[in-house]
Amino acid sequence: MTSIHIIVFLPLLAALVAGLGQRFIGAVASKTITTAGLFTASLLSWPIFIGFLNGSETAYVAPVMNWVQSGDLSFDWELRVDALTAVMLVVITTVSALVHLYSWGYMEEDPDQPRFFAYLSLFTFAMLMLVTANNLVQMFFGWEGVGLASYLLIGFWYKKPSANAAAIKAFVVNRVGDLGFMLGIFGVFWLFGTVSIPDILAAAPDKVGSSIGFLGFRVDTMSLLCILLFIGAMGKSAQLGLHTWLPDAMEGPTPVSALIHAATMVTAGVFMVCRLSPLFETSQFALDVVTIVGATTAIFAATVGLVQTDIKRVIAYSTCSQLGYMFFAAGTGAYGAAMFHLFTHAFFKALLFLGAGSVIHAMHHEQDMRYYGGLRKHIPLTFWAMMAGTLAITGVGIVGVGGFAGFYSKDAIIEAAFASHSTFHMYAFGIGVLAALLTSFYSWRLMFLTFFGTPRWAQSEHIQHAMHDHGDHDEHGHDHAHTHAGHDDGTAGYHPHESPLPMLIPLGVLTLGAIFAGFVFHGGFIEAETGKAFWANSTLFFNEHLMHAMHEVPMWVKLSSTVAMLTGLLVAYVMYQLSKDAPQRLASAFAPLYRFFLNKWYFDELYDAVFVRPAFWFGRLFWKQGDIGIIDRFGPNGSAAVVSFGSKLAVKMQSGYLYTYALVMLLGLVTAVSWMMVRT
Amino acid sequence: MELNASLSLVRPEIILSFSALALLLLAAWKDQAGRLISILAVAALGAAAAFTASALGSGASAPAFDGLMVNDAFGNFSKLLIYIAAAVSLTIAPRFLEKAGAMRAEYPVLIVLSCIGMGIMVSATDLISLYIGLELQSLSAYVLASFVRSDGRSAEAGLKYFVLGGLASGMLLFGASLVYGFAGSTSFAAIGLAMDKEVGLGLIFGIVFILSGLAFKISAAPFHMWTPDVYEGAPTPVTAFFASAPKVAAIALLMRVVLEAFGSQVLVWQQIIIAVALMSIIIGAVGAIGQQNLKRLMAYSSINNVGFILIGLATGTEQGIAAMLVYLTIYVAMTLGGFVCLMQLKDKDGNYREEFADIAGLSKTRPALAAAFAIFMFSLAGIPPLFGFWGKLVVFNAAVAAGLLPLAVIGIAASVIGAFYYLKVVKVMYFDDAADVIADSDDKVLVWTGGILAAANSPLGYFAIPVLGVWTAVAAKALF
Amino acid sequence: MTDLSQYLPILLFLVVALALSSAFVFLPMGVSRLTGTYKPTEAKLAEYECGFPAFEDSRSQFDVRFYLVAILFIIFDLEAAFLFPWAVSLGETGWIGWGTMMLFLFELVIGFIYAWKVGALEWE
Repeated sequence: MTSIHIIVFLPLLAALVAGLGQRFIGAVASKTITTAGLFTASLLSWPIFIGFLNGSETAYVAPVMNWVQSGDLSFDWELRVDALTAVMLVVITTVSALVHLYSWGYMEEDPDQPRFFAYLSLFTFAMLMLVTANNLVQMFFGWEGVGLASYLLIGFWYKKPSANAAAIKAFVVNRVGDLGFMLGIFGVFWLFGTVSIPDILAAAPDKVGSSIGFLGFRVDTMSLLCILLFIGAMGKSAQLGLHTWLPDAMEGPTPVSALIHAATMVTAGVFMVCRLSPLFETSQFALDVVTIVGATTAIFAATVGLVQTDIKRVIAYSTCSQLGYMFFAAGTGAYGAAMFHLFTHAFFKALLFLGAGSVIHAMHHEQDMRYYGGLRKHIPLTFWAMMAGTLAITGVGIVGVGGFAGFYSKDAIIEAAFASHSTFHMYAFGIGVLAALLTSFYSWRLMFLTFFGTPRWAQSEHIQHAMHDHGDHDEHGHDHAHTHAGHDDGTAGYHPHESPLPMLIPLGVLTLGAIFAGFVFHGGFIEAETGKAFWANSTLFFNEHLMHAMHEVPMWVKLSSTVAMLTGLLVAYVMYQLSKDAPQRLASAFAPLYRFFLNKWYFDELYDAVFVRPAFWFGRLFWKQGDIGIIDRFGPNGSAAVVSFGSKLAVKMQSGYLYTYALVMLLGLVTAVSWMMVRT
Repeated sequence: MELNASLSLVRPEIILSFSALALLLLAAWKDQAGRLISILAVAALGAAAAFTASALGSGASAPAFDGLMVNDAFGNFSKLLIYIAAAVSLTIAPRFLEKAGAMRAEYPVLIVLSCIGMGIMVSATDLISLYIGLELQSLSAYVLASFVRSDGRSAEAGLKYFVLGGLASGMLLFGASLVYGFAGSTSFAAIGLAMDKEVGLGLIFGIVFILSGLAFKISAAPFHMWTPDVYEGAPTPVTAFFASAPKVAAIALLMRVVLEAFGSQVLVWQQIIIAVALMSIIIGAVGAIGQQNLKRLMAYSSINNVGFILIGLATGTEQGIAAMLVYLTIYVAMTLGGFVCLMQLKDKDGNYREEFADIAGLSKTRPALAAAFAIFMFSLAGIPPLFGFWGKLVVFNAAVAAGLLPLAVIGIAASVIGAFYYLKVVKVMYFDDAADVIADSDDKVLVWTGGILAAANSPLGYFAIPVLGVWTAVAAKALF
Repeated sequence: MTDLSQYLPILLFLVVALALSSAFVFLPMGVSRLTGTYKPTEAKLAEYECGFPAFEDSRSQFDVRFYLVAILFIIFDLEAAFLFPWAVSLGETGWIGWGTMMLFLFELVIGFIYAWKVGALEWE
């Protein structure tokens, strides 16, 4: 029993106790147990991470138990601890612990809190299984586990039809990716005869250049395997094509969005690519695919994010876009930079989500930014936290001096893309800079719409409901015993309140992370010398050469992202602070483009037409014609009719008269005798 | 001396015979001592069972009375089952019969007499001894069916049973006379030798008539018509007895006759057995669906289960016979348990209730009883992990091993229909609005018996498989 | 296959008898139905008993005690019938045969005692 066992299994234990025992121990105990469990896990994780950073820890594998022993397939349940795992450990446990704490405040009025906390802890356990996996099957176990937890949490408010639909959508879309992942695992086992990650990575270089028959084609083995595995990553990390579930997943409670759909689960794909980076390095083609998909996602999601009005959806598309960054970083060979961005992104994106949650909480569940405005004075602490998050995500900083977290990680990615020698590195670089501009624009747009300007709350139905309800409570001496009339300032008489302490503490901690994570840790992640030492303790392929080259790019490259950021800020300021009607004019001037972005590049409509409708059509065909028309009619319903007819007949024959009974007996006898006569 | 040897082989019967005579005299003088005589009768059955059990493990086979009877593992196993079932029927009866005003001392005497008949049945190796055993059992049963004379339904049940039983006995005797006429002997062994040769129509008719007569006793379709009426009309403890011990005896008898006497004419009897088995399964399953009375339901259930048991016989293999014995054992536990539950259905005035409407929502008012009842129903339906599943499994397994795949498939399909009405009982108890007519049970004997039987039918029963497997295997070997 | 052809005349006789008796019963009924008029009245349908109106139901109840006595008689009578073959073959069956019959009679006596004791032999 080492600390890693405690880190991994404490959340599971807490989830079981809270989930199964909630009736016996009550809501407060359930919440306390899960939250305390996660904080313990988090406190135990940091020493491991620090240990790898300063070189006092080395990679090891902690056994749990023998898992499968079946013919050639044999693997154990083990916990792999190395630098890569350690990064994920601190990200997962820290964000999870903070989200647990945050949920005390955010979910305060929910009747199902123990279930919520149990799900959160369960998710954490599954995620930890994923990142500590030493073989692909265990990784797949965690992979599916987080998928399940994600499904449960998106659909947590199961009385909301839209939440259920979103949960199902997330599940189904992920299934497509999981199929790829599974095929990849099967292929790996078929090719290498093992699912152990170190063995596979060691054996991979020998297989370069071999080819394999797949769907009737001869294809390059390693490219096929890597792309299959990458399809899995695309599903989980919401990359272009399989991204459609992520924005809808915002139907879940906001703490869930922060934990699962920003900081941890969606980064599992990036983690997987980094974990298997030596495998991916064997196929330039696969890396090119990763680069293109990542870069395209980055720009796609950023363009859609420009025009969204729902505060959570803006952040969701932003997440999608940032994940694209991580992938093209990996595709160009800068795995360290990808992991670094994953690390910093976890802090500032969780911060932005939790901040958004705080805003939503203050605005009585109104999520539409068009009905915000002027909130800076009402919820100043949330404002400053969000400001820190925005500064971090837009990458504010001064080259050569220092800056917020995103400044280090995002610039590293853009510079690495430029310095790389892979085929599509300039595409990635160009997109990276452009996406940085767009990121800056939509992030500041969010800030301006929410916190600046004048209140526009009066149009919000949520606020109107809130005021109406308060009106009803007037006689109870409620604080907000205002009448509706006489509020021309757009507030409708509503007074937003700053969130309670359990919500503010996580915001504070994450604010520190968003400000300092880049500055403190960039050495270990991306500097050539220290990074090499750090990553040597893991399976991550550390391209030392690229890391050197990254720091020697021309000055204009280094400045490009800063310029992009400033441009975005400026445009946003002009459009949303100076000229009030600029957005409308711009939208009408570029109406087709605006509609294209607003409708998310028509992905949902395309899938609806290509997959969903035909699937429904087939489903209905099989249901009405096949199932009801043939199977039910001649199967269950038909036989049920026969049985009930037979039952009536049997009851009718059972007349109660002796002679009927005797007759039946004799008939039976006569039949048997006659049959025997006929036969002989 | 040969007589002494023979007598020593039928010790259980002798014990029971003298007990019956003594108890009869006691009953003549002390008419109200029903409970005391019941206890003594149970003791006698216990002594007989002890003698039987002591010989259980051995595979030895010893003929008695010049080949009229035999003492072998098969007979001993069946007898043990019969004695236990009879003892349970005696134990649970007094309170019920007292309520009906019929706790007369003759009840245990008749049960014991019936047990003597059944003991002779399962060890008979001659048509004469077969008939004596059968009639001794049947005559006792006719009286038992109409034991509550004041109840019209009980009297009707006794009369119907008697008349139809007479018809069946007639068929059996007619068949026996044909067989004797054509085979030249009443001994199973001699008949078996005669069967080895080319057989004529007369002998085949004899087989058909004998099988028909026996099919009546095990209430297999199409000779089942008496069953629902008699089961409903007879007092519930008597019904429990009918459904258990005589079934065991008649089925064991059928096995012995078919395998020892007609063994070589597989084609003849197998067709009949298969036809009867399938009809029983289907009629038992289908007929039960429309029933409102739980005792009638149990009657159809017994018809249905007999069909499954006969599948084992249809195989004609040692494995099939062993499987039948396993199924029989489990069936006795299930069906006795079902009746024990039924007997606990009393309303506040102490009247016994037996309709579906009465048990609606029983789980809310009597959760333990409802749970026990549900166990028996699930077990009868053969739903894993309850013990009833194991019985069906071994029987179907034997059928498949013997190449009777279609029969097994039809049997399994029909068991799905059967599951419907078993589950209906559970559904009514657990999901319908509470009718709240059933009062708390004040009969500790019933509660304990029901509890023990429920435990036996629960997955705990699987612990008995090693012992049961050995005993049934040895018993089945005795017939080959 | 046993030769059943010897029984053919009997079967033929049965068939002829059945046909003839059916003809005697059903032919007059059919003819009268076709030729005569059919107007039943209560008087016409009443039982005919030597010109007198019927006094009582033609089925009368016996006292159940008759049955009881009859049953007991049959039992003891039939069991006693066993004594004849036993007596004839006693020389061959010897002491075992004697002992067996004594046991049988002993059981019969117990049954008799029971019947006596429970009052089955008393008329009142």
